[in-house]
Amino acid sequence: MIMAEPAARPDFKPSLPPGEPDLLHRARRGDLTAYDELVRLYQERIYATIYHMTSNHEDANDLAQESFIKAFQALKSFKGGSSFYTWLYRIAVNKTINFLKQRKNRTHMSLNDLDFNTEHDPDLVALISDKTPRREAGLAELQEKLNAALLKLSEPHRMVVVLHDVQGMSHEEIAKIAECNIGTVRSRLFYARQQLQGFLADYLK
Amino acid sequence: MNQNENDFEALTRLLALKRHETPPPGYFEGFADQVTARIRTGDAVEHGGFAERLAAEAPWLVNFLGLFQAKPAFVGAFASALCLLLLLGIVLTDRPDAVPTGSPLMSQVTADASQAEATTTTAATTTSPSSPLLLAENTNSSLQPVGSPLFGSQNAFFQSASYAVPGN
Repeated sequence: MIMAEPAARPDFKPSLPPGEPDLLHRARRGDLTAYDELVRLYQERIYATIYHMTSNHEDANDLAQESFIKAFQALKSFKGGSSFYTWLYRIAVNKTINFLKQRKNRTHMSLNDLDFNTEHDPDLVALISDKTPRREAGLAELQEKLNAALLKLSEPHRMVVVLHDVQGMSHEEIAKIAECNIGTVRSRLFYARQQLQGFLADYLK
Repeated sequence: MNQNENDFEALTRLLALKRHETPPPGYFEGFADQVTARIRTGDAVEHGGFAERLAAEAPWLVNFLGLFQAKPAFVGAFASALCLLLLLGIVLTDRPDAVPTGSPLMSQVTADASQAEATTTTAATTTSPSSPLLLAENTNSSLQPVGSPLFGSQNAFFQSASYAVPGN
């Protein structure tokens, strides 16, 4: 089986969107219109991170909203030592990890649908056997097994896999978000990948 | 680390599937509005002033009051306990040793109090002697609340009154 070139990860560049400093300044003074703009800037990425960690759309919706609310309430304590995006991410990730720890043995998947480009992704096409009667069935099963495998990881290990392998963050950015050193990020990533390889061995031949 | 990346190449390709998972169409259109609406609702509490200060300075009180919301039965139990304490306080009040004798206004009250005390003393002898509220074992001085832990030697609810009659 010829493996196609792996699809490039989304190019994660935490560069400052134009106008963000002004929006941030106004939001810190209580301007909800400005904060609304900030939410729109980051809502998709924050939601995606939380969803990938929880594998549950409803939980991700609630947690994402609560993360933005908490960030607004804590804006005055944001001292600018890191980028606003990193700071926001840290709030969202910590909130999600705390939520998952409380629901340790009560995880319930509520998976989003796959978009129409999925079937054309060369990475995934190579993984689905041509002999599968319905490719959609193969993709759905793959999606479920992948999410189930991710949920078997501990929250810190799941986080690094999601941030690095799914969302394309660098080790340095992950270290800032997780407030740990880069070596810890790398070791967690290595261990998590090993675990996932074991869980998904049947699909990685 | 390059070797490690190669080892996990198939896995990282599989993980690409996660990027294709998308929320329902139109999901993000109202997301920001919901967030700001919830912030505005939360603002009413933020600017409550007293509530916020209370939560910061006396979280134990907030937790205690929260019991009433969580379990309304606590309200009834707490109210009943307060009523009981009040009744006991009335029953155990200081009787008219401090009240000017001969006062026609107080004589009826004294008689009623004596009757109530007598009833209470009778009840006390039949209840547990270890009751912390009924320490007056000497019936001769049943009108004197002795060292009551609740009311002390002076009853805060009842104070002796004196009436200065002009010309006396």
